[in-house]
Amino acid sequence: METQTGASRSPMQFGIFSVGDITTDPTTGYTPTDAERIQNILTIAQHAEEVGLDVFAMGEHHNPPFFPSSPISINSYLAAKTERLILSTATTLITTNDPVRLAEDYAMLQHVSGGRMDITLGRGNTGPVYPWFGEDIRQGIPLALEKYALLRRLWSEDVVDWEGKFRTPLQGFTSTPRPLDGVAPFVWHGSIRSPEIAEQAAFYGDGFFANHIFWPASHTQRMVEFYRSRFEHYGHGTAAQAIVGLGGQVFMRKNSQDAVNEFRPYFNNAPVYGHGPSMEEFTAQTPLTVGSPQEVIDRTLGFRDYVGDYQRQLFLMDHAGLPLKTVLEQLDLLGGEVVPALRREFANNRPAEVPDAPTHAARVAESRAARVETEAVDA
Amino acid sequence: METRKLTVISAGLSQPSSTRMLADKLAAATLARLEDEYTVDVVTVELKDFAHDIVNNMLTGFPSPKLEEVIASVETSDGLIAVSPIFTTSYSGLFKSFFDVVDNKALTDLPVLIGATAGTPRHSLALDYAMRPVFNYLHAVVVPTGVFAATGDWGDSGDKVRSLPERIDRGAGELAELMKASERSHTVRDPFALDTSLSPVGGFQPS
Repeated sequence: METQTGASRSPMQFGIFSVGDITTDPTTGYTPTDAERIQNILTIAQHAEEVGLDVFAMGEHHNPPFFPSSPISINSYLAAKTERLILSTATTLITTNDPVRLAEDYAMLQHVSGGRMDITLGRGNTGPVYPWFGEDIRQGIPLALEKYALLRRLWSEDVVDWEGKFRTPLQGFTSTPRPLDGVAPFVWHGSIRSPEIAEQAAFYGDGFFANHIFWPASHTQRMVEFYRSRFEHYGHGTAAQAIVGLGGQVFMRKNSQDAVNEFRPYFNNAPVYGHGPSMEEFTAQTPLTVGSPQEVIDRTLGFRDYVGDYQRQLFLMDHAGLPLKTVLEQLDLLGGEVVPALRREFANNRPAEVPDAPTHAARVAESRAARVETEAVDA
Repeated sequence: METRKLTVISAGLSQPSSTRMLADKLAAATLARLEDEYTVDVVTVELKDFAHDIVNNMLTGFPSPKLEEVIASVETSDGLIAVSPIFTTSYSGLFKSFFDVVDNKALTDLPVLIGATAGTPRHSLALDYAMRPVFNYLHAVVVPTGVFAATGDWGDSGDKVRSLPERIDRGAGELAELMKASERSHTVRDPFALDTSLSPVGGFQPS
């Protein structure tokens, strides 16, 4: 088993992310209860650590058929139950959450987890969530920009005076707890198709996470290229040094045809793309891979050809009504066969200038080094 | 000679199709108005060939490569001829579904000539109460003349005062004039162009 920890060096992190859908299993007609799905996701996340994965990321939704309204609760529980897993989100709604609440909650998780966490911000995909939380969907981008600008300040400045458009002003506000070791949680910005969000990630030198599930590879390629070029433009390093994460979607069995036969009814009835394109069309047009572990390895290694060397690869595993047992078997294949091969192959020919995946320990070391440098200059 | 690009969309379902026939006549009349001065690139699309792709796009949110080509053709044209059969007092569902998957800002300023076919002339106002508002919403420039062809127009029971060929010619003339002034096919659009007021730290006002 891999002995990587959130604190040690890892060029690339591998893991899973969950949307948290409660979907009827089309092969049995069985629909799990909220209670079952929540227990199942806790089991799945812990198994991810058992099979040697690095990251678990939980989605956030505020409407059925999704259960994870509070990913922070799930991740806090997992922080106690795991030892090495980095707990992230996929995604945290920066548009409709209060940035003050986010600053407090995720700084607390950072302490509780010993730095084994980060956060992926997104705008959400359900129109009514905006008005339910008192916002206007037409302001999606402005909300994401302003709220994140405040969130950053709440972590980086001890006392914040702030006034903006979308929230009550703050005078003399200190967000507690202060970030662990004086280093704010690492932030990824997730987007399927908004260049404004890639621009925002580049501006701050934060990570950019491309969904990479629903759209063709050519689209992801253009978004990542844009983010990388803007990252360089803003002076955070070369384009190759930008921090990129990708989603992905796979279903595996030892024999390719078994995977195809078993996954087809789940594909055909999946909440998002079900009853639309055939599995063969969708597989050709998006990064979805259904087949043997070797096919998954080959396809995934191909991602590097169009996004460059990157830092994080997360797979969607527990959706569309797949039973718990099947998901755990998928994790066994992912952790047992796929990820070790991916670690080995992705490390080959990885240019030295490409940064490792972000961890709290590495960021603390960086910030100390920067401080020493500043002090040396001052002296 | 300068070039102009014309895309012709026909939502007819049968083969042969009177909708396609009207679309071809409108295209030919437009071409006749332009070809002395311009090289005209005409792309004709039968939406029925893309029916599955259009529905798939509605479900998945992205077009198949072959549908993407059609959408790009419409978006980069100097003129669009859009013709639908009238079903149940309106454009066909396929016609509307196609324009539903095109980016709602991509047709801004696009010159459009609308046409429709139906069994009887009693459906002719569908052009003005159904089709024209769709393109108005998209901020396309729809020429004043819409061309409606009832079955009788193809024989001797049509409008004998203002005949179908005259109506076609009038609509084509209006479209051709707008196409002459269009620079759309020569304009390169950057899908990553950011609004000039965008500030990554906030205070951005969407237009």
